[in-house]
Amino acid sequence: MRLLGLFMLIFIMWMMIVIVSYFLIFIIGPLHIDIFHNSSDRLISSIVKASSAIGLVVVLILMLGILKTKYLQKTLLKE
Amino acid sequence: MAIFFTTPVFIRYLNKKGKVVVDYHKPGKPNVPRPAGPVLLIGIVISEIILYVLIPDTKIIAVLLTTIIAFIIGYIDDLKTMPGWFKPVALILAAIPMIALGSHGHSLGLIFDSAFIPILYIPLILAIIPIVGNTINSIDVFNGVASGFIIITMIPLLASVILFGNVTVFLMGLPLLFGTIAIYQYHKYPSRIFLGDSGTLLLGSMYAGLSIAGNSEIIGVIALLPAVMNSFLFLSSVKKIVEHRQVKTRPVSISEDFKLVASKEPSAPATLVRLILARGSMSEQEIITKILILATFSSVLAFITIVIQYFFIKGMISL
Repeated sequence: MRLLGLFMLIFIMWMMIVIVSYFLIFIIGPLHIDIFHNSSDRLISSIVKASSAIGLVVVLILMLGILKTKYLQKTLLKE
Repeated sequence: MAIFFTTPVFIRYLNKKGKVVVDYHKPGKPNVPRPAGPVLLIGIVISEIILYVLIPDTKIIAVLLTTIIAFIIGYIDDLKTMPGWFKPVALILAAIPMIALGSHGHSLGLIFDSAFIPILYIPLILAIIPIVGNTINSIDVFNGVASGFIIITMIPLLASVILFGNVTVFLMGLPLLFGTIAIYQYHKYPSRIFLGDSGTLLLGSMYAGLSIAGNSEIIGVIALLPAVMNSFLFLSSVKKIVEHRQVKTRPVSISEDFKLVASKEPSAPATLVRLILARGSMSEQEIITKILILATFSSVLAFITIVIQYFFIKGMISL
């Protein structure tokens, strides 16, 4: 099965997308920051949520980069 | 049907005008007419206009304008080789009709629920259209790959659109699916016509436009994972946006018996084809089959995601 490694790689990518979606919906989504007890708290919460979401996507891309490097080392350069 | 019957006439026209390119992967290196983009565009435009007459929804116009702009950008690149930055930057223009005509939602479907991101969604659209357009463009390396890829990945996308989007967007997607099936008859191995940049950017941008208008962005991305991986591998190994033809060390080479071999050069860019060839040489036809098998696998994952999303959105499962 020549494609087994690529199937695994695509499957891991898919799993990572599902996990990031889970974090965005269940962890970052319900976040609420209460500092000033007025309408500015909503703005702060939105900024924190947006920054966390972008940060999470950056982490996803970095993890994909590491995964790619490991896979390349295991297949191409080893061969 | 229009695309299927007019393509042979267009092939003859391109041959007559000398608009041909060499297919380096075959013995004798035959000349193949290019591009198929115009015939594909005409068929899709006619179908979408008929649909707009029957259902006057601005989403149809938005996706159509996105498709036409992407086609024009690709056609410019077909006529004159542009620098590597041209297509990704110019394709931002193709995203503007989607925003200007308000054909997008304000929530991003994230499998378990939707995230309400009205402001963040705008830059996301400006990124999605160029990324998907270029992703389909970069997978178009062998006969019938880009068109075959779109046919396979359109199936989960359309299923998602009808479940999480609306019927109009689903109907808008049918001309792309059937138009691509028609052109595939001429683009498949051995190709009688190449899509060219106009064809691939048109396919990719319309696919992206449909996934945005149909609230199916994540499903669209999952179905495209092998192509996304190809673009990601290439970009992260060359570390800048360049045309494939500008890369000095080729990722694959052709042996004397016209089999493709992965480059052993560490500096060669990593691509999906190079990874497929890592364990030995293959013929062009074998590689095409492998790429389409990978597209089928990612489409199955997209269907699994649709099922998960459906159960969560309907409230049948909750965490």
